[in-house]
Amino acid sequence: MEFASIEREIHVQASPDVVFAVVSQPEHLREWWPDDASLESSAPGATGELIWGDEDNPRAHVEAMTVVEADPPHRFVFRWTHAVGEEAAPGNSLLVTFELTSSASGTLLRMTETGFREMGWEAAVLEAAYNEHVEGWNHFIPRLETYADSLVASS
Amino acid sequence: MTVAIDDDLWSAVGDPTRRRMLDLLLTGGAGTATSLSEQLPVTRQAVAKHLGVLDRVGLVHATPYGREKRYHVDDEQFGRAVEQLSAVGAAWDARLNRIRRIAEAIQRSQDEQTDNGER
Repeated sequence: MEFASIEREIHVQASPDVVFAVVSQPEHLREWWPDDASLESSAPGATGELIWGDEDNPRAHVEAMTVVEADPPHRFVFRWTHAVGEEAAPGNSLLVTFELTSSASGTLLRMTETGFREMGWEAAVLEAAYNEHVEGWNHFIPRLETYADSLVASS
Repeated sequence: MTVAIDDDLWSAVGDPTRRRMLDLLLTGGAGTATSLSEQLPVTRQAVAKHLGVLDRVGLVHATPYGREKRYHVDDEQFGRAVEQLSAVGAAWDARLNRIRRIAEAIQRSQDEQTDNGER
């Protein structure tokens, strides 16, 4: 196990175009990650925000996000956790890489997150906090079902 | 434990040679700088230095062993290091599962649309 990075692979029964849209567009991002997300565009250099709310404040946690590389539907690379307003660079942020490979029945999606060694332990603790915050199908299953229904309804 | 100490722990396990040493100590139960250097492509001096780093963050403990020191892994501290990383991994597992469900729902609705169009 490489302690300074997280690597995951998952097979998705959907085309690379669909998967690319889900990992890179804010309207989809907010369904699988933060409570809300904004992103100017999915072009390199574009910046945005990942927003988590709590009962008192809809913007309780705000993290900056900057697109590093976009090669639809093959690669989407971004940095996050740098301070809002600060330019994303190695050492102040975590780097997330999505690689999409077309397969017979869909898409092989590979995710790598690096930068923990440079960022230090605090980044991992932050992640762990989000983990507790966002995990739990109790919260997500109803949202996903509503979302899937809305997609079918609008088609 | 403070974040400052955590940062040290993080950089201690961030080095590939030190992780290899931890692996060897975990599988072999315990080891000395000499015994570890025999299993690694680095000098005894380098191994002793790495053991010093691991010792300072509490990942290994030394007991006198003849003229050398014998090191073993501190299970509790090692567990902490692994646990925090696993939490990050688990967060991504959950996110990727959601990505899959969303993408597959979109794909299904697109396919249904195509099917309807063909009829």
